[in-house]
Formats: sequence, C-alpha cells, structure tokens
Amino acid sequence: MSALGVSGNLARVDPMEALGADESERITGRIGGLRRGLRMAAPVIGLAGFLLVWQFGVVLFDIKKYVLPRPSDILSTINGDKAFYFRMARTTMWEAFAGFAVAFVLAMVVATLMAHSRFIERAVLPLAVLVQVTPIIAYTPAIVIWQGYGFRSILVVTALVCFVPFLINGVTGMRSVDPNLIELARSVNASKREVFLRLRLQSALPNLFSAARIAVGLALIGAVLGEFFAGSLSGLGYIIKVDQNRLQLHLQMWGAIYVLAFIGAAATFLITVAERFALHWHSSQRE
Amino acid sequence: MSEPQSVATVDRDRADTLVSVRSVTKTFRQRGGNVQALQRVDLDIGRGEFVSLLGPSGCGKSTLLRIIGGLHEASSGVVKVNGLDPDAARAAKQYGLVPQSPALVPWKTLGQNVRFLTGLHRGQATHAVMSDAEINGLLETVGLSGFTKAYPHELSGGMQQRASLVRAFALGAPILLMDEPFAALDEITRADMRYLLLDMWGRTNTTVVFVTHSVTEAAILSDRVVTMAARPGRIASDRPINLARPRTPEMEDTAEFHETVRMLRADLREFHG
Repeated sequence: MSALGVSGNLARVDPMEALGADESERITGRIGGLRRGLRMAAPVIGLAGFLLVWQFGVVLFDIKKYVLPRPSDILSTINGDKAFYFRMARTTMWEAFAGFAVAFVLAMVVATLMAHSRFIERAVLPLAVLVQVTPIIAYTPAIVIWQGYGFRSILVVTALVCFVPFLINGVTGMRSVDPNLIELARSVNASKREVFLRLRLQSALPNLFSAARIAVGLALIGAVLGEFFAGSLSGLGYIIKVDQNRLQLHLQMWGAIYVLAFIGAAATFLITVAERFALHWHSSQRE
Repeated sequence: MSEPQSVATVDRDRADTLVSVRSVTKTFRQRGGNVQALQRVDLDIGRGEFVSLLGPSGCGKSTLLRIIGGLHEASSGVVKVNGLDPDAARAAKQYGLVPQSPALVPWKTLGQNVRFLTGLHRGQATHAVMSDAEINGLLETVGLSGFTKAYPHELSGGMQQRASLVRAFALGAPILLMDEPFAALDEITRADMRYLLLDMWGRTNTTVVFVTHSVTEAAILSDRVVTMAARPGRIASDRPINLARPRTPEMEDTAEFHETVRMLRADLREFHG
C-alpha cells in the first residue's frame, strides 16, 4: 500500500513544481488509473477468492456433496432451474419489500412525533430498545399464532424487525440539524412546521440511508423467518425449510441461500447508488 | 461609492433610536445556583448606526444580542425594537442574524442559501426583501457571483461566512445582529471580511449590532463601541469612534486609530481585574 499512498500524495502536489508537467501527469495518470482499477476490482477479487477456496477445499478434503456442495454445482443448479428460483425469489422479495416499506412509513410517523416532543421520545425509546433486544426468532411463532398462517404474519415479523433501525436513525437525523440553523430560522419567526419540512426531514436523510442499509438485511431475515413459521408454500425460506430434511435436495437449498445473498447484495448496491445521488452534499460521500 | 456613503453618514448623525434597552437583567438558572448574565443594562442604538459590543467571554455580550433579537427573554427590563417587543419584531422579520459559524444549509447551493431565510415565514415582513438583482450585486461585491451553483462543502470557510453575510443582508431587515461572525476565520481572511462588511453596510441603510472580542475589529468597524465587563455582565464604557468614513485598511496605521484602540483596551482592563 505504501507505493500507492505515495502516488496519492504526488497527485496532490503541483505538477509544475514536482517534475516536468507532462512527465508527472503521465505518471500520476497511470498510477491513479491503476489504483482506481484495483479499488473497483477489489470486491470482485475478494468474492472470487472466497469461492475458489471453498471450491478447492471441498475437492481437496473430499467432502461429500450432500455435506457441503461445491460452489460450481450450486451455481449450475440455479442456472438449471432459473424459472423456479425466480418465482421463489419474487415471493420473498415482495414480503421483504412490503415489510421494509411498512416499517419505514410507520417509523417516520413515530419519529416525527418523537422529534417534536422530548416526552414522547423518552416514553417510546425504551419500547424500541425492548423490541430490538428481544430476538425476533423468539417471538415469530407467537406472532404466527396471533396473526395466523400466511402473508400477514410474515409482514408483521418483517416490519417489526426493520422498524427500530428506521425509528432510531430517523429521530437522530431529525435532531441533527445545526443548532445555529434552527436559531436562524427562529430569528425570522419560522414555524415549527417550516423547520421540520425544510430542515429536519432533509437532515435525517443520511441517517435514514444508513438505516436502510441495515434494514435490507433485516427485511430478508424477517421474510425467511416468516416463511419458516407461517406455513408458506412459496419463497426461498420455504425451499430452505423443506430441503433441510431431504438429503437429495441439499443443492437446491444452497441455491436458495445463494439467491438470497444475491438479492441482499443487489438491494444494498441500489441503496448505495441512490445515496450517492441524494447525499452528494453530505460529508459521508466525500473521498 | 463615496457619495451615498457620506449621505448615509449625515443620516446617522441625526439618527432616531431604533433599539432601546432599559434596565435589562438576565439570570440563568444553573446547577448550583443562579448566574447573573446581565445586570441592569441600558443601551440605545440609533437607526443606521454600527455598534459593537466588545468584551471578554462570559460578559454577556452574546446574551444581550440574543435578547435584542428576541431569541432569549430578559429576566426583567424592557427592550423595544422599532417600537416593537423583540418577539413582535421577530414576527415582522426585522432581524438579520449572522451567527459565529456560517450555518449554511448543506444540501442547498450558495444561490439557494442566500435566499433561504427570505423564503421562511414568507410574506410577513413589513419591509421589502432584496430583489434578485440586489442580491446578485452583493454576491458580486463579496466575490461570490461565480459560485452560486456551488454547495457549501465546496467553499472555503471565508466564502461560507461571506455567503452568511449576504444571506442576512438579503432579508432587507432594518437591523442586523452579528455574533462574532469572523471569530472562526484566519487573521488574513477576517481582515478582508471587515471591509467587505463595511462596504455592504454602506450600500444598505441597515443598523448593525456586532459582537466581538477583538478590540481592533470593534474600532475599525464601529460608530460606537460598547465595552462590557463580566460577573455580572454589564456595560463598562460606551465610546463613539470618530474615525472618518469610509474606513480603509490604511487607517489602521494612523495615530488616531492607535489612540482609539488604546482607550478601548484601557476600558477593558479597568473592569477586568
């Protein structure tokens, strides 16, 4: 890394001062390009390395296919049954998305109330912490008994598990407005509503994006968990549950896990891209 | 620029009172007892005057500024601004505030930022806000006209503070309240800022209340310097500054200026044991 670090400094030095202008530009250009390329490729290299170690580890130690299959077999299983996986993924994605969205809307309503009243904030916060520290898997069966088999239970579980990150981050974000800005707004007698709509909501965006990245993973947990317990007949979680008891379907189970991983990664990527656009003004987006 | 400047000076000479502060006291309740931030403060500020509140930290100068601006309430005493109570004056958008940090809205461009306060509590001002052309003129004056599409994080601290000044002037408010606006800037930038501020003030007919702990800053900017002492916060001296207008950087080297600074320092020392 030290060589790359030096090139980084070189790029910031006045080229006219360091070397001949052309010379230095050529060098920093080339090293800079290589550096950028390596940075972009790093995640791919990491993932490929992991799969290769897995692949050759299984071959080398002669692990039985039904104990731990090879990544190449898992990928070809998915490839051979694309329509099936697509159907199952659609079910799970819809459940996860619905829970995510319901949690977001409800959390914003409660966060708005909490941002306006310290009393409400103090009253609600312990409840939010309780919801968060109780393992979701512990009360999922209870929710299914209460709400019955089917989509409703899955939605409740998913929304519940996503709710707290949105709530806590929403409140923190709404309260994160520069106090000098609030005072400026007061100096022209701006109403609480104006301060909320024109300062607090936007201020909460960076925190809400952080919450969204956490909630993507949680929403998938909620959806899969819901499918385990709520008598589902479709979805990636349903496949995993059914396949667990049939040795010959282990490959299919691993396929579902891979697809879940892909969905989570893709959703996270989309959120990061949206964040880039929406938060270009925020320090978290500066390099 | 010398024409309107001299006219403004004449106006200032026979200025009527815009701000009147009568035996204002402010006590903050704190753990372990009450803190007397201000004790029986009396102060009149004329229309169009540039008055500095000078003093060490803890002397209550920022508190006095905020009481005048209706942002803090006095524990006792009466404040009138343009004949109104501070809260009513705030509702009538009589104030332009310049805080110590630029406090620009980070997701708005510079052009949107300087108009941001004008857009809040809209339509309640009893005076005309600045037109776009006037605002652009001010941006030109402070050298920001090429940066209206830039976001705050793309600007230097000095540029941000200049935008903060323009934002306050853009309100067209009769009284500007400045709370150590240059304190966070480096010495060279703040020297430039003083003359930019005087330039903008000379073009508008505003009254400025300027809080500072810099003696030279108070001396070069003000028509009057009100020196404050701490524990309890009170007015120690109130001196007119008779340097000619417009003020220039060269004046800072004159004997007259040095004498003014010497007197202000003596005032500060006398009450700061």
